[in-house]
Amino acid sequence: MAKKITIHPVTRIEGHLTIEVEVDNGKVVDAWSSGTMARGFEAMLTGKDPRDAPYVTSRFCGVCYSVHQLASARALDAAFGAKVPWGGNLIRNLVMGAEYIYDHVLHFYQLSALDYIDIMAVAEYKGKDKDLLAVKDKIVNLVKEKDTYPLTPRYKPDDFSVKDPDIVTSAVSHYIKALKMHAKARNMGAIWGGRTPHYQNIVVGGVTSYPDINQWARFRTMLDEQKKFVEEVYIPDVLAFGTGPLWPLATMGVGGGHYNYLSYGDFPKDPAWKDTVFPAGTIVGLNPANIKVEPVNTEKITESVKYAWYKENKPVHPYDGEQVFNLDKKEAYTFVKAPRYDGKPMEVGPLARMLVAKNPTLIDLVKKGAKPGAVARHASRAIETKLMVDACYNWLDQLLAEMTKPGFKIHDTEHWNPPESGMGAGFHEAPRGALGHWIKIKNKKIANYQAVVPSTWNASPRCEKGVRGQYEESLIGAPVPDPENPNNVVRIIRSFDPCLACAIHIIDPKTNEIRKFLIE
Amino acid sequence: MSGTSTPNATNSKGGDKVSPLKIVILGVGNLLLSDEGVGVHVANELVKLELPPGVTVVEGGTDGFRLINVITEADRLIVVDAVKGSGAPGSIYRFDINEVQNCPSGFKTSVHQIGILEVINLSGLIGKTPQTTVIGIEPESLEMGMELSPEVKAKIPRIIELIWDELKSSA
Repeated sequence: MAKKITIHPVTRIEGHLTIEVEVDNGKVVDAWSSGTMARGFEAMLTGKDPRDAPYVTSRFCGVCYSVHQLASARALDAAFGAKVPWGGNLIRNLVMGAEYIYDHVLHFYQLSALDYIDIMAVAEYKGKDKDLLAVKDKIVNLVKEKDTYPLTPRYKPDDFSVKDPDIVTSAVSHYIKALKMHAKARNMGAIWGGRTPHYQNIVVGGVTSYPDINQWARFRTMLDEQKKFVEEVYIPDVLAFGTGPLWPLATMGVGGGHYNYLSYGDFPKDPAWKDTVFPAGTIVGLNPANIKVEPVNTEKITESVKYAWYKENKPVHPYDGEQVFNLDKKEAYTFVKAPRYDGKPMEVGPLARMLVAKNPTLIDLVKKGAKPGAVARHASRAIETKLMVDACYNWLDQLLAEMTKPGFKIHDTEHWNPPESGMGAGFHEAPRGALGHWIKIKNKKIANYQAVVPSTWNASPRCEKGVRGQYEESLIGAPVPDPENPNNVVRIIRSFDPCLACAIHIIDPKTNEIRKFLIE
Repeated sequence: MSGTSTPNATNSKGGDKVSPLKIVILGVGNLLLSDEGVGVHVANELVKLELPPGVTVVEGGTDGFRLINVITEADRLIVVDAVKGSGAPGSIYRFDINEVQNCPSGFKTSVHQIGILEVINLSGLIGKTPQTTVIGIEPESLEMGMELSPEVKAKIPRIIELIWDELKSSA
């Protein structure tokens, strides 16, 4: 008899997500992914000045704001006919370079690592390393004070969990170091963005403020420090775990899914966009021995709402999408729509990008037996962090050269005013994956606006044909020997770096205790 | 430096002979969900004012983990946010973070599974935890919209007064 397990909410992610799985004979046999929070901010944009869109959309998500700002500015670039000067694109690239570094490092250490280690093994550390002993003390003290959130709650460690006290203590020390590096990296984006969070500098036509040499030098110094951490700590950790204790999970291909991948491609290396850090492409039904990449045609994107709480509609292209809720739909189980490419569910994000790029490091791991799945996702994230770090140095060199040229430009000021009417699409590879914004303009105002975000692709429900979304499919077959502790389910889901925040932040205590602090 | 919303890019406090306590006023919330954004509205009002030396205003949006840079740079932190405390809309709460840390189920911000209070808690792992006070406002509406409800909007001057009181008692 199959047993249903509901994980609600999935913690250590950005947002509200519920995962329901049916387990039979110790394996997942069916799965449902449900975004439990309504989002429909797009409707707010109708009637606004299109130039407001990058600012308003950056508030869609509480976590990855700059990605919306950039995708939105690019949609406007297309609709306004603006040509962003190379200097403007270099600065846009550098802002996102910093974003990749802190996002991916945070995801591995703060959001994921605890799925793979038995943190309580720290108490058993018997070594003499002073720093590690300090880590042991810190954690043991937190446990004593029962103050271990968000290190806990957690499921009971399973066979795949790393329990060796030396490895675990070292991993926890890196967890703390990563937190420090994260705090520092946060300031990098602000160098160009003017502030953090919610940068102010990305607008239609380019960016708003000229860089000076001090900013340039400051960014470079901070980048040096991040590079060192990425190369000496993050990548070795991912490799050591991925090819060591997690190798069985990697070779089992836990968390594979449909094996369809989409990358819009992003981050130009040259003014003509001949070469980009991430190439564009789609893969349908991956054959690791012979990867076939097809070009992307964004006209093939549609969104199905059959199983989502929206007014029934046939699958439509995002230009024609709407957000009219229908909470009485019997078959619906989520607020997330079901985007499809040529009718097929696609995975987006680091694994999709590295497969589309046929990245040699990832291909090498695949040849050695790692199947694309949860572990390969972590590896892809680490690989591409390094690609972005290296790209940042190249962009800094190019920016310095541009800055010294007479007539250095960062903005296409000729195209600042909105057209009478028009439409445009903006595409961006955000850290979590393919992001698209679509805008229609009438009478110089926004007539329709739609965003299809990375987690919509990955967390999508079934489409009108009943085909599961990528989270759902990736859970099928996952080993769940103990229904009370479905470790593999959360490992798989967190390997995608879910982000359904989109975005609310209220402090909502679960007790009435707060009343005593009422002052007026 | 005072009254700036730029926490780090251009805001250097170096060179002050008598370095005052670094006080950060952090307004958080989502600007697109009416009263949920009250902290942001308050921060945007505060930046217009002349504030004492050493005081920085940060508009934190809905960030959680990613505000750790702001948090660890502060000696004293004043968080302004919408708080559901089952009082009447517009009610104002004030508490120090250590007054609530050990309440039975802990504090959970409703969406970011790791929210601002947890991050303040975590900041102790990498350095100091600032002495933190939360000024909370009970929301009336969480509907989509960029305007505050009249009940909450009317309280903004009073919230700013209360923040001034905090600054005075911190000086």
